[in-house]
Amino acid sequence: MTVADEIEKRSAVKKAASSAVSGSNGHSSPAEREAAIARLRTMLLIRRFEERTFYEYTSPRTLPDGTREMKIGGFCHLYSGQEAIAVGCAALFDKSRDYLINGYRCHGHSLALGMNPHTAMAELFGRATGCSKGKGGSMHLFEVSAGNLGGHGIVGAQIPLGLGTAFAQKYRKTGGVTFCFMGDGAINQGTFNEALNLASLYKVPCIYVVENNGVAMGTQVERSSAEKDLAERACGYAMPHWNIDGNDVDTVITEFGKAVDRARSGGGPSYIVANTYRFRGHSMSDPMKYRKMSDGKWSPEVEEAKKHDPILLYSNRLMQAGIISAQQIEAMEAKVNEEVEAAIHQAEADPNPALEDRFNDVLAETYPYQPK
Amino acid sequence: MAVMQLREALRSAMTEEMERDENVFLMGEEVAEYNGAYKVSEGMLERFGPDRVIDTPISESGFSGLGVGAAMVGLRPIIEFMSWSFTLVCLDQIVNNAANVRYMSGGQVKIPITFRGGNGIAHQLGATHSHRTESIYARIPGLIVVTPSNSADAKGLLKSSIRCDDPVIFLENEKMLNDKGDVPEGEFTLPLGVADVERQGADVTLISYGRPLDRVVRPAVKALTENENIDVELINLRTLRPLDTQTLLESIKKTNRCVIVDEDWGYCGMGSGILFKLQEPAFDYLDAPIKYVHSDEIPVPYNHHLEEAMMPSVDKIVSAVKEVCYR
Repeated sequence: MTVADEIEKRSAVKKAASSAVSGSNGHSSPAEREAAIARLRTMLLIRRFEERTFYEYTSPRTLPDGTREMKIGGFCHLYSGQEAIAVGCAALFDKSRDYLINGYRCHGHSLALGMNPHTAMAELFGRATGCSKGKGGSMHLFEVSAGNLGGHGIVGAQIPLGLGTAFAQKYRKTGGVTFCFMGDGAINQGTFNEALNLASLYKVPCIYVVENNGVAMGTQVERSSAEKDLAERACGYAMPHWNIDGNDVDTVITEFGKAVDRARSGGGPSYIVANTYRFRGHSMSDPMKYRKMSDGKWSPEVEEAKKHDPILLYSNRLMQAGIISAQQIEAMEAKVNEEVEAAIHQAEADPNPALEDRFNDVLAETYPYQPK
Repeated sequence: MAVMQLREALRSAMTEEMERDENVFLMGEEVAEYNGAYKVSEGMLERFGPDRVIDTPISESGFSGLGVGAAMVGLRPIIEFMSWSFTLVCLDQIVNNAANVRYMSGGQVKIPITFRGGNGIAHQLGATHSHRTESIYARIPGLIVVTPSNSADAKGLLKSSIRCDDPVIFLENEKMLNDKGDVPEGEFTLPLGVADVERQGADVTLISYGRPLDRVVRPAVKALTENENIDVELINLRTLRPLDTQTLLESIKKTNRCVIVDEDWGYCGMGSGILFKLQEPAFDYLDAPIKYVHSDEIPVPYNHHLEEAMMPSVDKIVSAVKEVCYR
């Protein structure tokens, strides 16, 4: 095969992927309307959870002896503004056979896959009742029974893990797919190159999603990637790669759906750059100076981004389609707020792990180990 | 008993475990079509096919992480590294992912994976290819570190490692692969976390593991017995983490003297870690300070004579043993 043939073939693959028929996410049937409302609700839940997390993180509790103690410790990265991506993924996710693996900005995906907000908040509070028993924290929310294989704290470290879970799905012929999420910062790690090449070489059912919020901690994409079109960063792996609007949940479902169809039918991996915007700082200690003007006011990009708030977009769409009214959204929001308050209240009241528990969950076997 | 090369014992262990459990697969550089860089996996592609014996490109982070991900969801990968020295480029996948993910998920996943390959100094490979990685991995909670010193160890320990539900670092040495030894016939496993007292003795406890046992330690024991009339109790550790401290202490209580031998660097080396475990509980039983015979603290030189000179030798071990015996 000549090089020209190869290039022709690849561009055909790319076109086929981007024009494939999307999964059904219309609003015609009652079930679809109900699903749309549930998606809006989940987006509202994530937003409220994150904004309340911001408040709890910055509001230390006062102990009986007068000293102050952080409620949430360590690094904490909020998902506000990116909700459509996790919720779109969840709409396609089959918990009986699919896996999701993630970087550290993992609260939103965990809630979207059905994690109880109390379980998530209790983990942030380091409680024994947290999803990871207080041993993981904000960056390491796991719910393996729901296919949620965790947030992972080292940038890019999860990319080969997603390759491995997808390899297992192919090895066992389960028909399952893996969603492997990363931020725009992670694509500059070496693991990105190794894992994407292997994923395509072994044709594993992995959907690599870059959530491009434009800034890796404080370094804008323009300063971190020589190729400004992040979809093109995957052009050397013989897999479909394309950009999508990550703020439009319907678009996310349609475009992720193409990759899911391809992966489930044995076509191999895809690479999607979901373009979005992070409303909060990188982590809790980030004053976002890089988004401020010399006079200290927010730069116009912030106001512009708020116009494309995924929740605003979706609310308006559902209202225009007559699926939900403004009053109903307001009522739903009030319910969600109550749910998050109850989660915080419960997490606050929950116990810390027993000190002896620190020795548990290190190893699965007891030693000396003799096979049966 | 069957006489096997150490490489044949490894192959036999992998083959039996792959026949026993279809979740076990072998992956690494040149393991399939090339029949193994050191011919450990010779014939396995033919036997198990390309779905279970899988060649990789030179991407240690990629395929070691693949193994961890596959293990998280229940497969039992055997990941072969051509050299443990090359794992310095994928330390994150082993130290952060294989060792920590179970803990950070509150015990929601198991990581039943075996990483194996050649470790340590393997003759004139130069500094970058001669790393003794045992002290890197043996200090990591969440990992099991195993090292065979003969064919029987290789088979029994590798089978147990593959069957174990925890991540195992299995450290071979390229220079040992041709060594022949007896291996019990039929199903044969050895426990992990148990040291082997391979020679009973009354005068001094000699602790070592892996390649130096055959290269210098066993010959030193012979010299001490024949020329110095010193009765050595020789312990082959087999597992470096978790360390079988109990067996070591029982021996020291009997002999009151101890020498540790490895090919690591001394400072923060494997033997230093063993010393940390022993010095306090053994203190009241010792008639002399524990001696640690290790390699010189320099990068491993290429030249044969320089390389030999930096490593523990029969003479260095004999001197150390005589010193703790005040002879």
